[in-house]
Amino acid sequence: MTDSSGAKAAMIEISGLRKDYGSVVALHDTELSVPTGEFLTLLGPSGSGKTTLLNLIAGMASPTRGRIVINGRDVTEVPAEKRGLGMVFQNYALMPHMTVSENIAFPLEIRKVPRAEIRRRVAEVLDLVRLPHVGDRKPKELSGGQQQRISIARCIVYKPDLILMDEPLGALDKKLREQMQLEIRRIHKELGITMLYVTHDQEEALNMSDRIMLMNARRVEQIGTPDQLYFAPRTQFAADFIGASTLLDATVAETGEPALLRLSASESCRVRLHSAAPVGTVGKLLLRPEALRLVQNGQVTAGHNVLHGHLDNTLVTGATSKHFVTLDNGATLAIQELTDPSTTRLEPGLRVQVSWPPETGRFLEN
Amino acid sequence: METRISGWRIALGAVVTVILAFLLLPSLITAVISFGSSNQIVFPPTGFSLNLFRRFFAEEGWVASTWLSFRVAIWSTLLALFLGIPAAYALTRGSFPGRKILALFLLSPVMVPHVAVALALYIYFTEIRLTNGELRLVFAHAIATLPFVVVTASAGLRHIDPALERAATVMGASRLTVLRRVTLPLLTPSIIASGLFAFLISFDEVVISWFVARAGDTTLPIKMFSSIQFEVSPVLAAISTMLTALSIVVCVIVATVQKEARSD
Repeated sequence: MTDSSGAKAAMIEISGLRKDYGSVVALHDTELSVPTGEFLTLLGPSGSGKTTLLNLIAGMASPTRGRIVINGRDVTEVPAEKRGLGMVFQNYALMPHMTVSENIAFPLEIRKVPRAEIRRRVAEVLDLVRLPHVGDRKPKELSGGQQQRISIARCIVYKPDLILMDEPLGALDKKLREQMQLEIRRIHKELGITMLYVTHDQEEALNMSDRIMLMNARRVEQIGTPDQLYFAPRTQFAADFIGASTLLDATVAETGEPALLRLSASESCRVRLHSAAPVGTVGKLLLRPEALRLVQNGQVTAGHNVLHGHLDNTLVTGATSKHFVTLDNGATLAIQELTDPSTTRLEPGLRVQVSWPPETGRFLEN
Repeated sequence: METRISGWRIALGAVVTVILAFLLLPSLITAVISFGSSNQIVFPPTGFSLNLFRRFFAEEGWVASTWLSFRVAIWSTLLALFLGIPAAYALTRGSFPGRKILALFLLSPVMVPHVAVALALYIYFTEIRLTNGELRLVFAHAIATLPFVVVTASAGLRHIDPALERAATVMGASRLTVLRRVTLPLLTPSIIASGLFAFLISFDEVVISWFVARAGDTTLPIKMFSSIQFEVSPVLAAISTMLTALSIVVCVIVATVQKEARSD
């Protein structure tokens, strides 16, 4: 899975899409191509433009300019009810005056599907979402997780080309959320429907997506697989938003393989550059907590970078522990390691070193 | 501390009881009188009988007025619903220039003194040569009850999650289907409630009716009002009792409908 849509036909093709509300830009010019069958997540903080983009695709807002093509059909001017999409809402949006079965039958009745077939298909999707016995109940008699499954069932029952999900798990508690993530992934795999999923939860995005489109300040920040966004963020925002991270001030001191970064007057480290940054380029060094090692007594692996500091404290969270270290230049960073009995009871204030191999750090220009 | 609070409570309870009694007593006294056996208004009544009710139903004038009031109330309610529900929908769901002013305008019959509305309607109906007394009453009452329908229906619409309508639209429902299958069913309790209130208001209306009604088109309240000017008939007590009973029944229905809607 790469950035290009490859051999598969594109389900969504968006070009030059922009939305203004008066003088306020709700979405800067956006390009996006989603191959058929992909699970794409729009990730970003609130106000980043992800919901605007979703509403434009759903047809609930019309763009200032640009085109939206869904499954080969230009739908830019097509009203929402004629786009043939499915949508799952955060608050489920099940009709309170209809039973579960009536809710699921509703989109089929609009499509004038014969009664017998409606009955068969409703039973089928209730099985698929593993709630075969709730058909006669009213939505409010179900738990939040069950209601969201019904709203997904109501969506897949009419086999739309594309399903849009707007923070569908936002109202559920953490445990149920994880269960539902797996459930949605399973349904996506079984049916192969293209899904566009909006969330502000980076963990959820990493868990579920084929690709993630990270949005910030009403424009696309980076688009790529979860691995690409986690290991190869292109911007400081991406590095900071996805996963835990430490960003240290850094200046390129020498180019080369690996290059030398100056972190402070007395400290420097080696890193592999991913852009042609000349000497003197100012930026940040990204270090992931799990790439760092806590070292005592200078037992550093040859070729690894090392910084000196003192231990602030250690948090044991079970299988892993976190060490918080203040470096001699005043910056603080977190180290995450598998819990090791020899390092869980270290005295705060102890002189320690932090080390990492040059290839795990990443330099991000300002 | 404890005793002071309970002391306050007793005082508060006493005040509330006195106020309630003050509000309820007139109705209660009329109700008691209406079951009396005397041919004059006397309190306390001298014996129990249903005579006054019998006299009401035996007198053709009273029955005719009652029917007229029923017809006017039903038609004006239907007219107010027909105009008020779409208006409420436009005001709550739409966004167009002048929306707030239009809302204010639709509520104006409540804010303008009833006498002023009554006089305006009298002049207006004369001007357009609307001579059918019953129609005059229906139109006038529809205008007087419209604000109540708009307010009740707007409140009901605001309680319907717009996401439901959006969801239905994305699923392929046309605007009409959304209205028919989602919005109106969810709005039914509010429609029933506003309709019943409109009915009661119309049934009870005196001032406007007095101005616009023509001789011979006497609604029940008009007839009551004019009859008390000539003779203080105890039949009035029986009518009051029935009107009060009607109001109570309507309020109970509204409360039940809204309770069911909330548990839905």
